[in-house]
Amino acid sequence: MPKKEKSLSSVFMNGIIAENPTLRLVLGTCPTLATTTSAINAVGMGAAATFVLVGSNVVISLLRNIIPDKVRIPAFIAVICTFVTMVQMFMQAFVPSLYESLGMFIPLIVVNCIILARAEAFASKNGVAASAADGLGMGCGFTLAITVIAIIREILGNGTVFGLNVFGAGYEPMLLMILAPGGFLVFGGVLAVTNLITARAEAKKKDEKGVIHA
Amino acid sequence: MKLYLSTAPHIRSGANTQVLMRDVLIALLPTTVAGIYYFGLSAAMVIAISIFSCVLFEYLWQRITKQPVRISDLSAAVTGLILGLNLPSTAPWWMPVIGALFAIVITKQLFGGIGDNFLNPALLARAVLLASWPARMTGATAYAVPTCWSGADAVTSATPLAGYEASTMDLFLGNIPGSIGEVCKVAILIGLVYLLVRKVISWRIPVTFLAVFALLSALVGQNALNELLMGGVLFGAVFMATDYTTSPMNPRGQFIYAALCGVLVCVIRNFGAYPEGVTYAILIGNIVTPLIDKYDKPRLYGRLKKEKKEVTANA
Amino acid sequence: MHSQHEGKMPTRNIPIRDFVSDTVCIPMSMHLGAPSKPCVQKGDLVKLGQMIGEPVGGLGLPVHASVSGEVIAVEERQHIGAAPVMCVVIRNDFADEWVEGIHGYGNVESVDPAVIIPAIKAAGICGMGGASFPTHVKLSIPEGKSCDTIILNGAECETFLTADFRLMLEHSGKIVDGLRAVMRALNVKRGVIAIEDNKPEAVEAMRKAASGREGVEIAVMRTKYPQGGEKQLIKAVTGREVPSGKLPIEVHTIVMNVGTAAAVADAVTDGRPLIDRITTVTGCVLHPANLRLRIGTIIADVIGECGGFSEEPGKIVFGGGMTGLCVPNTDVPMTKANNGIVVYNEKDARSVEESPCIRCARCVEACPIGLDPYRIKHYCDKGDLASAKEHHVMDCILCGCCSYNCPARRWLTASFKNTKDAIALEARRKK
Repeated sequence: MPKKEKSLSSVFMNGIIAENPTLRLVLGTCPTLATTTSAINAVGMGAAATFVLVGSNVVISLLRNIIPDKVRIPAFIAVICTFVTMVQMFMQAFVPSLYESLGMFIPLIVVNCIILARAEAFASKNGVAASAADGLGMGCGFTLAITVIAIIREILGNGTVFGLNVFGAGYEPMLLMILAPGGFLVFGGVLAVTNLITARAEAKKKDEKGVIHA
Repeated sequence: MKLYLSTAPHIRSGANTQVLMRDVLIALLPTTVAGIYYFGLSAAMVIAISIFSCVLFEYLWQRITKQPVRISDLSAAVTGLILGLNLPSTAPWWMPVIGALFAIVITKQLFGGIGDNFLNPALLARAVLLASWPARMTGATAYAVPTCWSGADAVTSATPLAGYEASTMDLFLGNIPGSIGEVCKVAILIGLVYLLVRKVISWRIPVTFLAVFALLSALVGQNALNELLMGGVLFGAVFMATDYTTSPMNPRGQFIYAALCGVLVCVIRNFGAYPEGVTYAILIGNIVTPLIDKYDKPRLYGRLKKEKKEVTANA
Repeated sequence: MHSQHEGKMPTRNIPIRDFVSDTVCIPMSMHLGAPSKPCVQKGDLVKLGQMIGEPVGGLGLPVHASVSGEVIAVEERQHIGAAPVMCVVIRNDFADEWVEGIHGYGNVESVDPAVIIPAIKAAGICGMGGASFPTHVKLSIPEGKSCDTIILNGAECETFLTADFRLMLEHSGKIVDGLRAVMRALNVKRGVIAIEDNKPEAVEAMRKAASGREGVEIAVMRTKYPQGGEKQLIKAVTGREVPSGKLPIEVHTIVMNVGTAAAVADAVTDGRPLIDRITTVTGCVLHPANLRLRIGTIIADVIGECGGFSEEPGKIVFGGGMTGLCVPNTDVPMTKANNGIVVYNEKDARSVEESPCIRCARCVEACPIGLDPYRIKHYCDKGDLASAKEHHVMDCILCGCCSYNCPARRWLTASFKNTKDAIALEARRKK
């Protein structure tokens, strides 16, 4: 649990690297798999989730001393639902095409475990500023991770990035990559690479400390 | 004089992994030759690229991950050949390469290498290619009509399963459109006999698979003989369902597994969205294998049924 | 699996001949149970058949001088186990003069049944097929158990070995006498001599010898290693299965080796202690042979008798190819249970490297007990004794079939042996 002396920027960075919700905590895998068929979808999903995260974190942090412990989960859900409904209406009004392609997954943000997890684990125990930073960090971490996955899937499965053609006309898209198995494959691959990098980094850290490892 | 010390046994049978894999390659030779005869040089190219890339990926992966290089056990070559035989002769060069990547790196090596993969590598590769480029893998746009070297440009057509007219004799000899290795049933049967004579595989899986499939096909009102001779069911039952690593260990389990595969092929062909279901049937069988192995144990000497009952009664 | 019967041809048709060496080194620990206590000193003169080691404990057996002559050393020497073994070394004077007081009890059919088991104990007889369990203990039926069948094991399913085969051909009468003696001692009505069908001459000879003898029958079994394993033999002859972890007496059966029976006959009719045995010497020796060797004959002398090595030796094994034990050097002496000396060349001796299991199921098919060797090996490699035990590693008879058949060259049997030892050790510690 971050102590008060932890700066807001470290709380923010925590969500992007050390506790990246998708790649380190492996939370919210449903939208990760479902909305990464194209980069634009992933960014839209990430932005919507980030908005809900920041909003719900702030409100829950404000109400954390009022909400009775026994009914906190329904209370959190009610707060989260409010923000999800707002996001849904915003998107429907201003980016209807994105709203169309994300479809069901916008209302499903309500049950995205990242949001409830942060409300429970962070916002209900920390101040407003820290909670906002945490929500923003987690949201950006989520957005970053799913965008990376989506870019890979879109390149392989459609030959494009954000709709721009990469390989030229001769490329025959690998349909599998934008199907469900492709989502699992790329997600697994990105997870593996992340683990490899963190393992190497930790080994290096140990080396610097002079710890001899077998 | 230096004497070695070791525990018994001090003698070993002649069989080793390399010999077994070589026998599988030899058993695949007739259908390979038949495929090249029917579909021409392009089939040979597909097979060659497939074998080469499988062996290369295995070599590279083992070098990169600093494992002992085991390409000499020929298992990668077997995977490559089976993968090549699973492709249509019209496949562009990059398809066997991508297939090999999925077969060797993702299905086999990422799960621990030879003996530890839970799916048949060549089959998974085929499933990936099928899902990714359906028009190039199957159907009227992919399968060449056998030319027997006569014409330079291959004409493509649907397979017998999807409406191509062929006599039973043509089905048997392989004079039909289809994947390179699956068309010539005669050659596959020669391979089966070789595998059985050399005791590389037992009869249990292929015979049960085909018998259950034929029986069920007849029951749903199909011509059982033609069903057996169409598509990849024979090739799958002989060369892919019998893969050691992904089939059960005990005889009873092998029967269950093979029967399951037979049922699934029939169900997919007759009631599914695909004209052919051998790939998915065997893959599902592969997935069930660990479960079968967990519950199917050979009967232990000296542990009688009566005794077991007593034990449970006491417990 | 017929190839597992290879290696018998060089010695199959060679008659038994005697060989006596200049010195013998007699270990005090040749049987299962506590080592005997030496009762002679350096410089003593001993005669043939004189007791030189006193039995110790319930499973103890006496040890007798196998040659006459001077005791030149009583000291610990290296044997096949890790720990050195107390040995009595005797220089042979070739007088072969029997010690006084040795007397027989007469014909096995007329002798008082009560003297038979004491005579067996006094002769120092232990199982001669390899397990070396004291025979008089095996023949003492525990309270509440009964025996209706004695099986003589003449299967000799192990590779290379022909000692029992030659014994059955050349001394068939003695074997039947031994069987009758045991049957009379225990008042058992049925005695079966079980022989594999690849030894028709032995079947013929034993049939002849057994004709007219009360309750003695010959069973011809399919040739299939490990047909001569105690449990497999009982199943083949009587159709009964020994329950897991129990002894054959549980199914009213006692199994003895044919060699043991011959020794029993000698002990009863002549009062002759166990001082020699028949051993097959084969592999990379110039003249493979079936030799009657005095207990304690040193391997180097035996090899010399067989014309020396025919190739640079890489491994010397006591016993057959499937279950034999390696010897560390050629100074090791023969024991009562040693039915063969097999010399392997450098190439065959080199240990093979394990490669990954390919799940070919050959081990499952080969296992005569019905284990899942591949799975047990997985637990053994992880050091997971509990799981190995749960998958019945303790039922493994260490026949070697799984290792023999494994195309990945995995050391299955070795793993199981180590695991069984570790589990047994743990159980003893807990007690």
